[in-house]
This record gives sequence, structure tokens and C-alpha cells, in this order.
Amino acid sequence: MRILVGLINGMIAGATPILLAALGGAFTYYAGIFNIAMEGMMLAGAFGAVVGSYFLHSWVLGIVLSIAFALVLALIFILFSVVLHTDEFVTGIALNLFAVGATTYLMRQTFDVKGVFANAGIVPIPRLHIPLVEKIPFLGEVLSGQNLMVYIAVIAVIAVNFLIFRTRFGMRLRAAGYNAACLDSSGVSTARMRTAALLLCAVLCGLAGAFLSLGYVTLFAENMSAGRGWISLAAIILVSGNPTGIAVISLLFGFSDGLGLLLQDYRVPSQFTSMVPYVATLVALYFYSVKERKRKA
Amino acid sequence: MRNKWVSGLLGVLVALLIGAFIMLLQGFNPLDVYAALFQFSLGGLSPLATTAKNAVPLVLTGLSASIAFASGPVNLGQPGQFLMGALFATVGGLYIHLPPVLEVIVLVLLAMLGGALWAGLAALLRMLFNMSEFIVTLMLNMVADFFTAWAIAGPFMDKTAFSPMTPQIDKAGWLPSIGNFNTTILFMIVAVGISWFVFNRWKAGYEWRLSGQNSLFARLGGCNIDRNFVSVMLFTGALAGLAGGLLVMAGPHRFLKGLGANYAWDGVMIAIVANNGLVATLLYGFFFSAIQTGALGMELITAVPSEISQVLQAVLVLVIVASREALAVILDRREARRRAKERAV
Repeated sequence: MRILVGLINGMIAGATPILLAALGGAFTYYAGIFNIAMEGMMLAGAFGAVVGSYFLHSWVLGIVLSIAFALVLALIFILFSVVLHTDEFVTGIALNLFAVGATTYLMRQTFDVKGVFANAGIVPIPRLHIPLVEKIPFLGEVLSGQNLMVYIAVIAVIAVNFLIFRTRFGMRLRAAGYNAACLDSSGVSTARMRTAALLLCAVLCGLAGAFLSLGYVTLFAENMSAGRGWISLAAIILVSGNPTGIAVISLLFGFSDGLGLLLQDYRVPSQFTSMVPYVATLVALYFYSVKERKRKA
Repeated sequence: MRNKWVSGLLGVLVALLIGAFIMLLQGFNPLDVYAALFQFSLGGLSPLATTAKNAVPLVLTGLSASIAFASGPVNLGQPGQFLMGALFATVGGLYIHLPPVLEVIVLVLLAMLGGALWAGLAALLRMLFNMSEFIVTLMLNMVADFFTAWAIAGPFMDKTAFSPMTPQIDKAGWLPSIGNFNTTILFMIVAVGISWFVFNRWKAGYEWRLSGQNSLFARLGGCNIDRNFVSVMLFTGALAGLAGGLLVMAGPHRFLKGLGANYAWDGVMIAIVANNGLVATLLYGFFFSAIQTGALGMELITAVPSEISQVLQAVLVLVIVASREALAVILDRREARRRAKERAV
């Protein structure tokens, strides 16, 4: 039972950042932007969160700053790809590298450390204990006591689903990706929809980053997003952007993350257990391509 | 052709100005910083030799990305291929003992084999299951990262060392220096030459370029798209692997933790800045190396941390790419207006 609870909690913690970033990517996916900057936005958010939490002594302000940092990247993305019509792939790669360089440089500048900044002064995002539910055996240990950001992520799934499929904004957003010329000729600016999608994506990626540096762990490390933005991109592609599908896939990746931690107890070298989520992505990609082939045949 | 030089130089100038602005904001004198930066990278024979040596991994991984992107396959696996190449060369250097020249040749070939195998794995998955090489190579990067970390902390670890690293490779595999210049530079020049020749003069290169520009046209014209895909992946993987092998053989002579650093990602960046041109990759690779090499020296005499080089690089990429595309848009508009005028008359 202990192992199972640990595994499930590990799964939830591993899934949350991927889920949040992928939900952000869902907006840009539907708006027809090939957005691969989630990795950079998440990293910028993680850094912003630590700066806010450490200097302003509040995790709320940490989250605010993490969103602000991610938004800066989104604004650069908008300037280059929406305004100047630079290639989205190139812009995304450059932004990801910019995020790595800028956060490394700023970490050195503001905290005067290399590699990792960990300090007792960083206020983490609290865990939420739900009264009554907490008391239920087993379920209580899973449903209650998770990091606040986990609950936000669950709400985000429902909210994003509603926004994309049930509102006028969502319809226009999807139209921007489906047929941009048609949307433009009906009097709605595609550029504006794409801008909105990128800003929304940055907000969610900022939250993902904040969870990484104030929830998952309480520190900032160089390049700490460690490919999670890429995994979230894979998750989006695997389910064609559907938010509910993204939630399921994220949980699968989270499970592999938790599994990796569990395997460590059985004396599997930690380097191999760390590989598990990435290999799981490859396996998922395999099933996806098999399914695609069947669909086409 | 002329536009390329104009937008490139313009981009570099604007990026350096933005960099200067960032430094001013932080209270540094940008003129002093830039003077120190370029003095430590280009001012004299010895700095120049260091810059050239540091350019080798950047140019080779950049070349790998350039050729891949220009031929179609989105091979973003240079970081992984680089590490596997380095690991293959290191392990070869630990267990194979041959006379000096022969040893170097064997290790170089092993490094290329390592990179090609890792890229070949992605190509195989694409061929067998139609899995997108874009995501696959990215995931394989992470796998290679952890795999090499395990290899140097486990089976090949130097038992006398305090941090994960392998013992030094056979001295016969060390690349010697001629004066200030390390012979690793020669390998880079030869690799660039061969790549240029294959890409621009050979039938295979012609088919690659054709597939990259219009894959349907290439297929209808009788090119074997699948075979070209695999050969491009293997070729570019070998280049990235070579970069890793040469780094080990010229530098620390062993596989240290964090050996790959950012070389391969910088290479991808260089390819993007160079718009996949091979000569441009060589030039920008050298320029990026100058910034990185100079930044280390600059840190000693100014208060600016050397990480500024990473910020400068990213600004360079964004500005150069944007100015290139913006220039193209402006020229297109001008052309359109000119034609419209001609019609009107």
C-alpha cells in the first residue's frame, strides 16, 4: 500500500508540469502555431518563481513573477513570429536557447552561484489539505495533501476544455488554425488570435515552471526543465491537442517518472531510471504511429 | 548573395548593440567589455589558436545540423550523437593500443561510428514505424545524456578520481599541437572540405539538396527518398560524433562529466543563423567560438560574468534571423511595387 501511494503521488507530481505546459501548448496548437518554446517558457517561469519567492518572501508573488517571466518570452515570440513573420521553428529554438542562457546568466548575476541555487529563504508553494477528505483511508492520501498547483492543473484541464470548445473565443482560435484566410475575411484578425494563444500558453507554462521550482523541488537549477517542454509537445501531438487526452497522456508520463523513482529502490542505476520518461515518450510515439498507419490504411 | 552578407553583418552589429545596451543597464562599460572579449579571442596568435580549437565542436555540429536541415530530415539529435561519438572514441582509446597515427585514425572512425549509430537508430525508427525523427532525436538526446553519465560513473570510471570520469586514453590517441595550433583544426578543415564536396558536387549531395527543397519533385525525378533520408541521418550523425571524438582527443583526453556542455545546441543555433549554408556555418562557428573563448578571458579582467556569452549568442540568433527575414519581406515588397508600376505604365 505504501508503495502504491508513493507511486501515485510520484505520478501526480511528475505529470503536473507536463500537463500545465501541454495545456498551454494546446492553445497554440489549435491556433495553428508550431510552438516549441514551451521548454524555454517553463524554464523562464521556474527562474521567475524563485526570484519572486526569495526576494519578496511570498509564493504568490513567486507565481506572479513566474508568469511575468514566461510572458516576456511569449512577447518576443509574438514580435518575431507574428509581427516579423520569422520561421516559428527557428524562433522557438532560439528562444529555448535564449531562456537557458538568460536564466544561467541572471542566476549568476543575482544569486552569485553557478549550477544550482537552493536557499532556505525560498518560500515553496504550500500543500493543500482538504478537511474530511483527508480522513478517508488511502484515497485521502492521494486526493488531499497535494501541492496547490496540482489542483490548479486539474481546474485548468476543465477550463481549457471549456474555453476551446464551448466559447466564441475558442471557436475563433480553432478557426485561426483551421483556416486563417477564412477567419481574416470574416473580420477577425488571425494575428490577434495567435497573439492571445501565445499569451495564454505563456501563463500556463509559467505555472508549470513555478511548480517545478517551488513545488516539485524548492530550488533553481541550470536548465532544470530538462526536456519536459519537449515531452509536453509530444503529448500534444499524440492526442492532436485535446485537453482531456493531454491529461491522460501526462499522467502516463508522470507514472513513468514515479516508476523511475521506485525502480531506484531496487538498485537499478539512477541514470537508467531517469531515462524512463523519455523512453516512455518513444514508446507512446510508436503506438501513435501504428494507430495512424491503421487509420490511413 | 550580397543580401546574405548585408543582413548577416547588420544582424551582428544590431545584436552587439543590444548586448551593449544590456551591459549598460547592468552598469558595465560595454566598450571595455567588448575590447576585452575580442582581445582574448582574436588579439594575437595564441588566443587565435584557442579560438580555432574551440570552434571545432561548434563548426562540426553546426555542419551536421546545416546539412540535415537543408536535406529535409529534422535531425535535432546532435547533442546525443556528439556524446555517443565522444564515448566511442574514449572507450576505443582505453582498450585499443596502436601506433600513434593508426590509433588516431581508428579513434576518429570510432567517434563517427558512434554518432552515426545513434542517428541511425532514429532513422531506423522513422523507416520501420514512421516515427517523427524530430521528437525521436530529442528524446534520444536525453537517453544518451543519461547513458554516458552511467558509463563514466560505472563500467569505465577512473577508480582514482573523485568525480565521474574515465581514465585518460592511450597517449597515441592524443592529438598533438603544432606550435600554438592543435591538429584537431586540421580534422575540422578536412571534414568541412569533404562535406562541402559531397553536398555540392556529388550526386548524393545533389539528391539531398533536391529532397530538402522539394521532396515530391525529388521523388518524381527518381530519387530514392528513403535511402537519402537514411544516408543524411548517418552522415550528419557521423559529423556530430566526430565533433565529440575530436573534443576528447584534443582536450581533456578523457570523458569528463558535463563534457558535451552546450556545444551541440550551439551548433544547431549556428546552422540556423547560417541559414544552412556550409561556408556560413564555418564563419559563424568561428565567430561564436570567438565570443565564448573571449568571454572566459573577459571575466578575469572585468566584472561581467562569462555567461553573458550565452545571452549574446541567443540575441545574435534572433536578430540575425529576423533581419534576414525582414529584409526578404522588404525586398519582396519593393519588387512587387516595381512590377506594379511597370504594369501601370
